[in-house]
Amino acid sequence: MQNAKDSFYMALRTRLTAINPERTILLRGAVRPGILVEEAEAPFNQLPNDVFVLRWPSLGVDLSLGSTMVAEQCEIAYQTCGTQSFGGLDRGRSLSEMDEELTAMLQPFYTPKMNYTVTPSATMLTKVFWDEPAFGPLAIQRDRLSRSVNVVVYSYQEQGE
Amino acid sequence: MAVNWFSAPAPVARRVRAYFAPVNRTTQTPVLFDPSEQAQFSLDTPPSPWISLGWIQGFTRKSGSKTAAVLTGVPAGTLEQVRETLEAQVSLEFLSWTKLTMALSTGSQHMNLLAPVSGASSAADGATAAAAVTVLSGSTSISIVLGAAAAASFSPGSIIALDADYTGQTGFVGSPVSGAYVRQALSDVDFIRRVTYNVALVSNVTSTGLTLASPLPGGAPVTGSKLQAVTGFVDREGGSFYQEWSALFVMEGSQGERIFFYYLRLQTMASAQETALPLDGKNEDGLARVLLQGQFLALPVTDPLDGERVVCYRSFLPATNALV
Repeated sequence: MQNAKDSFYMALRTRLTAINPERTILLRGAVRPGILVEEAEAPFNQLPNDVFVLRWPSLGVDLSLGSTMVAEQCEIAYQTCGTQSFGGLDRGRSLSEMDEELTAMLQPFYTPKMNYTVTPSATMLTKVFWDEPAFGPLAIQRDRLSRSVNVVVYSYQEQGE
Repeated sequence: MAVNWFSAPAPVARRVRAYFAPVNRTTQTPVLFDPSEQAQFSLDTPPSPWISLGWIQGFTRKSGSKTAAVLTGVPAGTLEQVRETLEAQVSLEFLSWTKLTMALSTGSQHMNLLAPVSGASSAADGATAAAAVTVLSGSTSISIVLGAAAAASFSPGSIIALDADYTGQTGFVGSPVSGAYVRQALSDVDFIRRVTYNVALVSNVTSTGLTLASPLPGGAPVTGSKLQAVTGFVDREGGSFYQEWSALFVMEGSQGERIFFYYLRLQTMASAQETALPLDGKNEDGLARVLLQGQFLALPVTDPLDGERVVCYRSFLPATNALV
């Protein structure tokens, strides 16, 4: 299951770098693409702005198949206050930009399943795939606009996992 | 030893893609699809002469073949089964309105509305057309060479129909797609361009000709071809002409496996119909997407492999490393 989560995150991260290389975050002293997995970082008091944050809130398995199918719900949260140069008046545009980037990052709706616990990373036998994103409503907190998007990520458990 | 296979469950597919190719009506020759050689094609660029119609929805296959039991003995018991009739139907909904999807979803002849000459008297399928311009040599399927004056009469965004003049012939007309069957000689010199599938959108105009947004289905224009502007399309309820196409439907599974449904001869069997699909399921009276409905009858061919008569081939390409 962890391999599927890792593969999904790395696919989105690679695609984000191609779609908008300017979207970055300085985290633990390193500049990285502006996407992170919440459970793999130190706890936040407040989600960082202008960054995609992945959470994995629920899980389902189908044991009746030749290979066990795993369905993991991924919640992708993001928020923005706009840019300083426009005094935050562009916060709606900034959120739309992130909506568009996420839509593009999710296509195509599959990626090879990888094992990132070995070096170099190893391509596994199956693919990880996911459904269309379900965009949640806009949430407004003062000058901060935020949204969360749910995607169900599917994968097959391989032998040895 | 590392395991290098997995047990693949039933394919999980999102949607179905459709590809059509014209049957040569004169020789009754369908277009072949060989899954052993062509199955790995990029879904966005199908092998020639297949034309992608993009995603479809509501794809349904229905077999109308009937079998009967041969009974022997007292009391009678089934000795064997025989196939009495061979029939299959396919229905689907196209997600776009184009020349080809409109034509495929109408049970009749499909025509181009040629730009009319000034002052022409009205007609339900288009008034007398403005004079055609001659295509010059050196043209390709995507670049049309014209004289400067002729090129100036088009602009980016124009739609063009390109084909030969009608010269009184009867039988199937239009190449490579037969757009109509002419039973008796007509007087309209533009008739073939009215029914041709050789249409395209102009993306750029220069003093030497036109650049098209997509290649002409008929390939490079033949000598003597002419070109006219098209303002839209029209089809009719009625008539005696039936569209006939080879069709290929592809489902791509989540693991890269592919399922192909290949019909050598599909004839449209229903008149033009549309369905309205509400954009917002909670507001069924609101905005709705108008979808073209296609319903087809599969006609049989004789498989040269063993002489059996068949209407459809279903092929499956397993995912890499999947147990078979």
